Amino acid sequence: MTRRLLYGIPLMLGVTLVSFMLMVYFGPDQTYELLGKNPTAQQITEVRHSLGYDRSFVVRYVGYLKEVVTLNFGLSASSGESVTDILKRTLPVSLALILPGFVLGNLLGLGFGMLTAWYRGGWLDKWVMTASVVGMSVSFLVIIIVLQVLLCTPYGLNMFPVRGWQVHDIGSWLYYVSVPTLALVLVTLGYNTRFYRAVMVEEIERDHIRTARIYGASPFSIMFRHVLKNSLVPILTRVMYSIPFVVVSGSLLLESYFGIPGVGLVTFNAITSGDQPVLKAVVSLTGILFVLVMLVTDIFYKWVDPRMLRS
Amino acid sequence: MGGPTDVAVVNAALWHRFSKDRFGISGLLIIVIFAILSLCVWFGILGQGWAQTSGSYWASASMEHWFGTNRLGQDILDRTLVGAATALEVGFSVTLFSILLGVVLGAISGWRSHSWLDEIILWAMGVLDSIPFYLFAAALAFAMRGQYFAMHLAMILTFWTTTARIIRAEVMRLKQREFVEAARAIGLPGMTIVFRHILPNTVHILLVQATIIFVVAIKTEVILSFLGLGVSNGVSWGLMLAESSQEVLTGHFGNFLAASLSLFALLMGFNLLTDALQDAFDNRGKIV
Repeated sequence: MTRRLLYGIPLMLGVTLVSFMLMVYFGPDQTYELLGKNPTAQQITEVRHSLGYDRSFVVRYVGYLKEVVTLNFGLSASSGESVTDILKRTLPVSLALILPGFVLGNLLGLGFGMLTAWYRGGWLDKWVMTASVVGMSVSFLVIIIVLQVLLCTPYGLNMFPVRGWQVHDIGSWLYYVSVPTLALVLVTLGYNTRFYRAVMVEEIERDHIRTARIYGASPFSIMFRHVLKNSLVPILTRVMYSIPFVVVSGSLLLESYFGIPGVGLVTFNAITSGDQPVLKAVVSLTGILFVLVMLVTDIFYKWVDPRMLRS
Repeated sequence: MGGPTDVAVVNAALWHRFSKDRFGISGLLIIVIFAILSLCVWFGILGQGWAQTSGSYWASASMEHWFGTNRLGQDILDRTLVGAATALEVGFSVTLFSILLGVVLGAISGWRSHSWLDEIILWAMGVLDSIPFYLFAAALAFAMRGQYFAMHLAMILTFWTTTARIIRAEVMRLKQREFVEAARAIGLPGMTIVFRHILPNTVHILLVQATIIFVVAIKTEVILSFLGLGVSNGVSWGLMLAESSQEVLTGHFGNFLAASLSLFALLMGFNLLTDALQDAFDNRGKIV
């Protein structure tokens, strides 16, 4: 536990160092965005000084680090809004957008994985596996475009909005979230099914499961009480480790395509405009989230598999 | 793990097994066709009119324009072919360099496991893995002032870690084996043992890994180009899809169908190849 926490420190240092170098040190120069027309040489120097451009790499990095550690992210450079407020506004949107697809995609993948592993080699297995290879060969972008044409335009059902996010109750949430959710499920289902199938197949081939099958235990009890329970470790690892990316990266394409004001879109805009306070906040929070996920996964492991307590 | 003859026998048996896999062969065939078309584009035989505008906008398929034309009257077939060349160029260079980086760093870290060098490599992998990829790619694109190769670099710098982890584990496993002990006993230098004797035993893993990275790289190129972080002065299927995302809403499907179907075919080819290779190698034990 403490070892994991200690491992988190160099990791956070690395993440902040990379983000500082890419996004701040070599990032967009903001001098002229803050200046009026025809600035004097003195005005330029003043602005550069206030942005810290005249100080050394180390001094600037330590300053950046200090802000990250104290979670003091300040005000957004482009809108003047407090970064904490921006995150409070956009994080729930991203979660509401991504969670249904993430949960459904994993549950369906798990279901198909269990079915195909149980009927391994049969026609169901072959069909589902073929479908999953087809699914893995379709680009996320293509899925989004097709779904939009089929569900959101007069060429298809025209039942859902093309763009936007005006969510105030469950009905409007379903209205805006359905198409993105479907896209997310379709793009992940092939990968999820194959992953869960591989995990299940490995477990089903163990001697005690074979014995249980020969003795005629019901498939339901074997799958849920033995196979699923024993394969919780790889499943949890996959689910846990995808959380930080699902929240930030996974939503970027959906948010920019459907014009949904979530964390992904805000961060993307911050990169293109050089809005450093927002970038600092998002990158360091993702890093913290990653370390937290590692800690929680460790605790899960010990809870799921007591053998791991000793190692 | 004997001499070269044994290796040749195993390889011949693997090839025999692979050649009986109809899906794998068709996958390979698709890739070869795309590769030939791309080579023709590079050598200036095909697709040269991709930027040429004409007076016929939104033309439907005809003898002159097989896939029709786009809103500038450009030939969609030519653009699709150049897009294929772009996809394969990105896929190939990203796969090559990220596999190389992953093999070298993974081998060093596995051979010298639990040393400070290993710790540093593990730390670098941890750091790169915990930065969201699209943010990393966007930041790199802007730090490099929108250079074309920023996209390649972003993918190479993040994709090598998977290969490195696999190779590290594999080297740690293989270095316990007798043939490595024997090589040590006769005083071979460490790097010779790793690169001449251990790594050749991981080629099958690398081959599968390469096909997987190829798929991810092509998919990522399309999305990066769509987001405006990838190809900007040429043609990419991602750019064609970006154009088409507005066009399909007004009933023009030429760009969309051409780009998405070629993308699907190429990715399908690689996925079929990956599966066939995995199947052939999974049963390696039964041949030897």
